[in-house]
Parts: sequence; C-alpha cells; structure tokens
Amino acid sequence: MNLLPDTYHIQQTFSAYCRTGEKVKLPGVKPQRLKHYRQLVFNMIHDTMEHAFPIAFRHIPATKWNKMVKEFFSRHACRSYQVWKLPLEFYTYAVEHNWEEVYALPFLNDLLAFEWAEMEVYNMEDIPAPAYSLSGNWLETPLVLNPEYRLLRFSYPVHLLAKPKELLKNKGVYFVLLFRHPETGHVEFTDLSPWLAFLTEQLAMGITVRDILDYAPELNITQTDTLELDSIAFLKHMQELHFVLGFQS
Amino acid sequence: MVGVGFRREFAEEMISGEHIRPDFIEFAPENWMNIGGYWKKVLHRVVEKYPVLCHGLSLSIGSPEELDKPFLQYIKTFLREYNVQIYSEHLSYSKCDNAHMYDLLPIPFRMDAVKHIASRIQQVQDYLQRPLVMEIVSYYTPVAAEMSEVDFINEVVKQSGCQLLLDVNNIYVNAFNHRYDAKAFIQQLPLDKVAYIHMAGHEQVAPDLIIDTHGEPIIDPVYDLFEWTIQRLHPVPVLLERDFNIPEMAELQGELTKLKNICHKQWNLKDELVA
Repeated sequence: MNLLPDTYHIQQTFSAYCRTGEKVKLPGVKPQRLKHYRQLVFNMIHDTMEHAFPIAFRHIPATKWNKMVKEFFSRHACRSYQVWKLPLEFYTYAVEHNWEEVYALPFLNDLLAFEWAEMEVYNMEDIPAPAYSLSGNWLETPLVLNPEYRLLRFSYPVHLLAKPKELLKNKGVYFVLLFRHPETGHVEFTDLSPWLAFLTEQLAMGITVRDILDYAPELNITQTDTLELDSIAFLKHMQELHFVLGFQS
Repeated sequence: MVGVGFRREFAEEMISGEHIRPDFIEFAPENWMNIGGYWKKVLHRVVEKYPVLCHGLSLSIGSPEELDKPFLQYIKTFLREYNVQIYSEHLSYSKCDNAHMYDLLPIPFRMDAVKHIASRIQQVQDYLQRPLVMEIVSYYTPVAAEMSEVDFINEVVKQSGCQLLLDVNNIYVNAFNHRYDAKAFIQQLPLDKVAYIHMAGHEQVAPDLIIDTHGEPIIDPVYDLFEWTIQRLHPVPVLLERDFNIPEMAELQGELTKLKNICHKQWNLKDELVA
C-alpha cells in the first residue's frame, strides 16, 4: 500500500465522522461543510431503511426508529456493495443485539424479517424451476413448487396486522409463505396453518402428499378425509396462484 | 451520442421511446447486479433497445484497504453480459474500515494518495482488461490537501493511464464552492484523456454552497460551460443525469435535445457522433 499512515488516518477519521456524526478534527476541513457529508450519508441510510421497512417505520415511534438507524450505522460496518441488500444487515443487527428487548418491541424481529423477505423475494436472482407436467396424481406424484419463495415462522402476526397493540394481543404461532409470481414478478404472501406449513416444507423436499399425510399421526394429527381433501384443495389453490407449478415429469 | 441515466422511475417510458429517445443509457451495475424477477426482465428489454454505458458506485478507488476482488469479478461478468461500452467510476472513496458509506467522500489531495490510487486503477484496468474512466467528483470541503486539486487529478491520470469522465456540473459546483475559475481549471486538465461527459442539475443551499443533487434541470451557466468545454474536446458521449424530482419525459427530452444541439453545433457533426 502506498498510503502514508497519516493519510490513512485522515480518511478513517473522515469516514468515522460520516458514520457517527461525532465531532472530529481534520486538517484543512471546513466544519460547516463537513456537516453536509454526515447529512448526505445518514439521510441515504435512513431513507433506505424507511423504504425497506415501511410498516416498521410507520408504527415504531420516530425517536426509537431514529435511534435504531443511528446505532446501526455508527456501530455496524455495512458490508453490502448493493444498497438494496443493506436492510438485511439492519435486520441481522437487530436480532444480534436483542433489539426486541432493548427497545421493548417484542414483535420487532418478526416484522423486520417479514418486510425484508418481501424485498428479498422480489429482487432475488431467478431460480430455474425443474421440468414439470401439468397433469399428475395429487397424492402420489411429487409436486414441483415455484423455487422463488420463503417460508417463515412468526410469533406475532406481522403479515396480518400492523398496529403494535394488536400484535401484542395476538402472540402465537404463525406461518407465512411468500413467493414471487413467475410472470408478473409480484410478491404474494399467504398465511398458513402449522399443518400447511409442514406440508409445504415437505413438498419442497420432493416428498409426496401421500407420504406426508401418512406421517401426520406422528405429529399428533389425526388423519382424516378432511385433512386430505383440505390439503389437496389448498394445493390446487396454490397452483392457481403459481406457487405449485405442476407435477414432476 | 447523448444519453440519459436509466432509472426505474421512468423505465417503461424509456422502453416505449415515445416521449424520450436517448442515444444510449447509463446505469450503475450495483443497482442491477444479482437481481431477478420483474426488474431483470425490464433490464433485458431496455438493453435490447439502447447501447449501454455503466457508471459504478461501489468500487471505492480511493479506499485505504484492498480492492474487493469478488466485487470486481461480478463487475467483469456484468460488463461482459450486457456488452457495456464504457465503465466509469468516481475519483473518491465510499468505503473505509470495510464499511460502505454509499456516498462519495473526498480524497486528500496528496502525493501518497495519488500513488495509492494510481496503483489501484491499474489493478482494476488489468483485471477488467479495459480502461477505467474516472469522474472528477464534486466535493464540499478539501481534506488535508498538500497539492492542488488539478495537480492531483493530473498526477492520477498520468500515473495510472486512466481516462477521465468530465462532469461539467461538478466542475461548476466545485468552482463555486471553492472559489476558483472553472474554465481555468478545465484548461489545466489532460483534455485528450476525456472519454465521457456528464451533465446534471444542482441545488444552491447557502450563499456560498451548492450541493450536487441531480435533482434539478441543468442551469444556463452550466450549459455555457459545457459548450465552452466541448470546443476543446474530441467528440465523446454525453450523459444527462437526473436522479431526483423526475420531471415529465418531455422536459427531460428537452434537455437531451438541447445538449444534442450544442454537440452538433460545436462538433460539427450530424448523426454520426461516435464514442
């Protein structure tokens, strides 16, 4: 490296100021002008988070939200060279630093995970689906699912409700499936029962509906005709929505 | 060739070509790499219609630390995939202590920084097997300078062998903010190395400060400086940047037409302006 330690230190000090806004002394720098760099940099980060987490931004008090963004940007070294991936780092930072407790927002991890997943699925690289046929046996033929999806488990229904008070009243076990429509590219999401979440997870591994139903008693689910009919009805509906693409060919 | 920065806000209008019809488009690879779905389809449609130039955001040529090799690999693949004719970047840094800042920070105008940057530019050029076109950025305060800005730029060009992206608005903004003569500054640059021009609007936020926002129309003094400048250059592609406060397409097309008319007048060419 050709940089002298002094120049290196000056660059570090300048960038540290942009991240924290804490006063620094830099030779030749006009302090009033320096402030604009902090504003420009921080506004970009703040706008990125607001855009990525619109529900969280709307329902978390502004003082808390601003504190979160400031803490994140000043203490975390942002690694992504693509701005759109930065919200994942924000979400990860929130989980690692136990923000649910620190900021007394028990639903925070779920909400950030949901909003990030929506953005991730929308932007993620195309994943080619395996070959499939439109006809087959719903019980016996392994199904081909749309590979562009995320299946998430929540303790709060962040995909159904937005207001913090309502979320807190409805703590439980929730599953949500997000997937990208192959033609429009829009992200669709569906609330799933624990059974349908299990079914989806197993189907994605290539297991047939028949084998999954046979396993139901192990989960203390009494296998009934209704379960079979309901499961197939769900899958047919998901075919209409382009999550179930067809049958393995 | 007069092009426009491609943005998602007006992607469909660009593809239809009904109200705006640039000669080429430019975008940041970072905004389009590793994406799929709807926007990948849009990207494919637009690159089928227009020649593509790319203007990077995250190379951070002035960073103290090592170059990000995996990032460069992505860039190389991307430039090849989309048949990108020019890859330009910024003479600044946006990453330090392995933390991205997502903005363009000013490099100290010092000889050790020149050597450091020249070496990094050469590494990038060798790896990408193409010249790097470096933009002279706008800046709001000098930082620990030991040489003049123009000497710094000249030394970087000389030692690295890079080409220059002359953002005429940046020169106007810098001349205003740091109280120097824009024309005198431009005259001291190695103008034979200019491979690309950017034009944009800005916002004056204080009596003595202009911020380079790309959110306003180009003002007349910047058009005048542009016309004066291109008389001293061989024909190169010219780009209109508009990143915020996106107006009606007719207004953008009006700016494109104005730039094109100036190019035709000064370069005495008709439709065969070449890169």
